[in-house]
Amino acid sequence: ESVFRGTADLDSLLGKDLGALRDIVINANPAHPPLSLLVLHALLCQRYQVLSSVHVHSSVSAVPPPLLSCLGPQHIDSYARQRFQLGFTLIWKDVSKLQMKFNTQSMCPIEGEASVARFLFRLLSAEPQDPVAATQMDCWIDTAVFQLAEGGSKERAAMLRSLNSALGRSPWLLGQEFSLADIVCACCVLRAGQTTSAAANIQRWLKSCQNLCHFDCVNPLLQ
Amino acid sequence: MALNLTINSSNPPLGALLTAEHVKGSVNLSVEEGKDTMLHVSDKVQFSDVNSITRYLARVAPALGLYGSNMMEQTEVDHWLEFSARRLCGQSDLSSALGDLDKALALRTFLVGHSVTLADLCVWAALKGNGESQAKPNSYPHLCRWFSFLSSQVPFSSVGSKWASKISAIKATPVEK
Repeated sequence: ESVFRGTADLDSLLGKDLGALRDIVINANPAHPPLSLLVLHALLCQRYQVLSSVHVHSSVSAVPPPLLSCLGPQHIDSYARQRFQLGFTLIWKDVSKLQMKFNTQSMCPIEGEASVARFLFRLLSAEPQDPVAATQMDCWIDTAVFQLAEGGSKERAAMLRSLNSALGRSPWLLGQEFSLADIVCACCVLRAGQTTSAAANIQRWLKSCQNLCHFDCVNPLLQ
Repeated sequence: MALNLTINSSNPPLGALLTAEHVKGSVNLSVEEGKDTMLHVSDKVQFSDVNSITRYLARVAPALGLYGSNMMEQTEVDHWLEFSARRLCGQSDLSSALGDLDKALALRTFLVGHSVTLADLCVWAALKGNGESQAKPNSYPHLCRWFSFLSSQVPFSSVGSKWASKISAIKATPVEK
């Protein structure tokens, strides 16, 4: 069962379906697999009929097998595109920055894992309605990406300290509700690979995240 | 409840100041100069980075549409917020970022949708503070059209004249180490 229970349907979120499959196309570099997007893909699959596929662009020579199967088994009925509500197409490509293309007639290509994660999370209609909670969520996402994923050792240590102290006050980063802040921050901590030496509150929270089983898809990529 | 924005006057956050000007008719907000940039929401809640400050202000004034009018526009706004923070701030060579901006603006009056959003405010602010001199009209015609269109309007013109001269004065002063 999903942890999010929004009621919005895709037509009200994205405008009326014009007959073609709404395909989310993501170009990602295999050197930096976007773990948070894989977790969000798993959540989307619980909510919608998703036609998922993985491709390798000619700019990339060889991709490890776990990256080819990271969206689950290929659909055997993929020819029947009209049976699906959403397409999720992941292309391993030699890009300097992750990029999403969706509805390109009206939308510019979206750069960066954080912005794409926010988009996928909105499709679950689980964004906090309160402006403070919504902004705190965005703030955690930005700091995770700037300080944990790309920062130096000093910045990373500072971020881990603030994570640990926030998680001492509540089970999730925003309080009682699991949110995108938890998904993005947990994926950044898991990728940094210091989970066994992490502070107690962080360890407990990582366990809670992994107990939600949407994180299962991430495990094969961490080995 | 009244919001209070304190700004670091030796490094004024133009994007936050512009957003504050836009929302001041709809939100009870005071702005003062100080040491560190910080939006004080309550004793428990403060935001200190510019993107969080502008996001919060846009969210408490939803009627202005500064965060876009649907989830696709919201996502484009997110894209440009990150773009301004990463690719325009603290970079010396802006040519690829300016090229991307010029391309995006070729068929657009505003960066997102049909009215001004945080995307315009933050990208304009980043250019005003950093890359304005690199944006030559013959290389980036669409970007320059958009930039001068916004610059001519209040509050861009007032924020620009009040703070941008300060920024260039600060930049001209050698940094003491």
